[in-house]
Amino acid sequence: MKRREFLRKVGVGSMVALGMPYIALAQARPVKLATLLPLTGPFAFAGNAGREGFVDGVDYVNEVLGGIGGRKLELIVEDTGYDVAKGTAAFNRVLSRERPDELLFVYGDSTGLSKALAPEIARLGLPYSATSFANELADPKTYPTIFVFGPTYNDMMEALLRQIRLEKARARIALVYSNTEFGRDPIPYVKERAKALGMEVVHEEVTPPAFTDATPVVLNLRRANPDYVILQGYALSVEPLILRTAREQGLQARFMGTYYSAELALIQRAGPAAEGFTVTYHNAYWYDTLVPAVDEMRKFRQRKGRDTSYRPTYYMGSLAVALAVAEAMRRAAAAGKLTRAGVVEYLEKLGDYNGLGLQRSYQFVNHRLPYTKLYRASVREGRFNAITDWIKLA
Amino acid sequence: MSDLLPYLIGGLANGALYGLLALGFVLVYRATSVVNFAIGEFLLVGAYLTYTFALFLPLPLAILAALPLAFLFGILVEGGFVRPLLGRNVVAVIMATIGLAAALDGGVQLLWGPDLKYLTGSLPDLGFQAGSVFVSSRAVWNLLLALPLGLGLLWLLRRSKYGILVRAISEREVAALALGIPTARILAGVWGVSALLATLAGALLAVASGVGHNLVFFGMKVFPVAILGGLDSVGGALLAGFLLGVLEAVSQRYLEPILPGFTEALPFLVVLLVLLVRPYGLLGERQIERV
Repeated sequence: MKRREFLRKVGVGSMVALGMPYIALAQARPVKLATLLPLTGPFAFAGNAGREGFVDGVDYVNEVLGGIGGRKLELIVEDTGYDVAKGTAAFNRVLSRERPDELLFVYGDSTGLSKALAPEIARLGLPYSATSFANELADPKTYPTIFVFGPTYNDMMEALLRQIRLEKARARIALVYSNTEFGRDPIPYVKERAKALGMEVVHEEVTPPAFTDATPVVLNLRRANPDYVILQGYALSVEPLILRTAREQGLQARFMGTYYSAELALIQRAGPAAEGFTVTYHNAYWYDTLVPAVDEMRKFRQRKGRDTSYRPTYYMGSLAVALAVAEAMRRAAAAGKLTRAGVVEYLEKLGDYNGLGLQRSYQFVNHRLPYTKLYRASVREGRFNAITDWIKLA
Repeated sequence: MSDLLPYLIGGLANGALYGLLALGFVLVYRATSVVNFAIGEFLLVGAYLTYTFALFLPLPLAILAALPLAFLFGILVEGGFVRPLLGRNVVAVIMATIGLAAALDGGVQLLWGPDLKYLTGSLPDLGFQAGSVFVSSRAVWNLLLALPLGLGLLWLLRRSKYGILVRAISEREVAALALGIPTARILAGVWGVSALLATLAGALLAVASGVGHNLVFFGMKVFPVAILGGLDSVGGALLAGFLLGVLEAVSQRYLEPILPGFTEALPFLVVLLVLLVRPYGLLGERQIERV
């Protein structure tokens, strides 16, 4: 009896010893990436596409790249409704729920939310980025853990103004922007810079972020008679309406926009009125099949049984962020520094990462990636075509 | 003046929709004394119904198909939410409509998703050039539909048997019941008409700007319009709608360049100023209580 008991115990103990690594792996704590996105509200279109980009990016990291140093990358998604109060509540909820050694990156939305959270993020040393490209956030001295994965709105405006200068000397410019932080952010810079480049800002129109009738806006623009109209702060909520109304009312100006206007849906919704609409855009389009990431993600989505038809620009941007952040985490893990500070350190050193071609470069300059291209809408082709090579803005 | 004319035309077009929506709101208030805080959501539901039908039908038919469904929706709301609470504390009824607004908001997002949607197809193009002024198709349709409908409803309320019954119920519901007037059926019909008007307004809005949650903010303008016109005055609702539309247009022309964003606050400011002089609105009935 004693021998049987002894052998039973040895057998059980051996099995446990053999199984321990598997048990340990299964129990390895995940690394978490939280996203606070506008899944409802005026920018739900962008938010939902962005979520899809993060989901694909995180799944790709786990299934193809093996996770983060043997740990699973887990995605947390919260809805902000593009409302600062709701976004702040979501942020606090996530922070109170998650362990600081697991939650290593937060991706927020809106310029307003990001500016509101920035001091707290700095205090927590939490690596952070957002859908916002606000200039104020690209300030490593004040916000050492905040990164802008693209050019700032000031940079985007700089690119547009340079293009205007190339096309027309002493151009007359009108600015139409929403009364949000998103809309207002680059306006002081544009006004100052336009003057320095010999242009005249002949009209400014401030509107709500979404509205149902663009006639008064366009009539005011017609009276000002600008050569160019720059739209800022809308993310497709009203650009098609403005463009169609402008065409209807015979406004001859050339329209331009920034990153969040660079989406194909604008051409589909504005129709012929979209012809020639010029935008800044710094990621790949889903139809840029020469970009390795596009080809790779098509195949990945096909394997997962997901729709491989056109993915919006907001998807591409989120995917670029997810892959880059995961790469920084992987490098930090390899160096034994998988902490918030480690992620910040390795994001700053990410210059040699190519992100499968999703962006020009991940070499941060003042915690932003100051590269963009200009694209122009072609209604006949139903897409935006590049009219410049990469423009370096810093 | 020719400079102001395009703004006025746009303002009248917007005012037509304000009036249409306020008409539905005031009809309900006049008949039942219920302030329907869900009127913006009625507009939203109507726009989404039109969007759904427009996936299968030409747009004009889609709008026509959505209207009877909207009427039915209004009747269901009255029967399910309002009638059970009639006779209770007025706050309870108000809270019910606020709760209904939230429920409809969430329901619409669940059914149709949060993305901005665009109507397939378009209404026949009635836009035309008049000298140096372009009158958009949108403006023509708004005025063409809203004005006759509004005036027609006004006439119906004053002259038709149904209108007289509605007015009788709103004056003395108990007496109307005692006289054998089918008050429940008639009041349900009023809510149905209100939903129908909101749907038409929502469909006309959606033609230009798409279907999305932002339409609810248009619906919020019904409150200053209805109060300005007089909460119990159907004619006042129409008049106030056009008046506010025109005032907004003038503000866009002259004040917006100096005070950006002012036009958004204008309706509420106008209401405040008018109420100081005419507390019951422009055409509202002066309430006298005998004690």
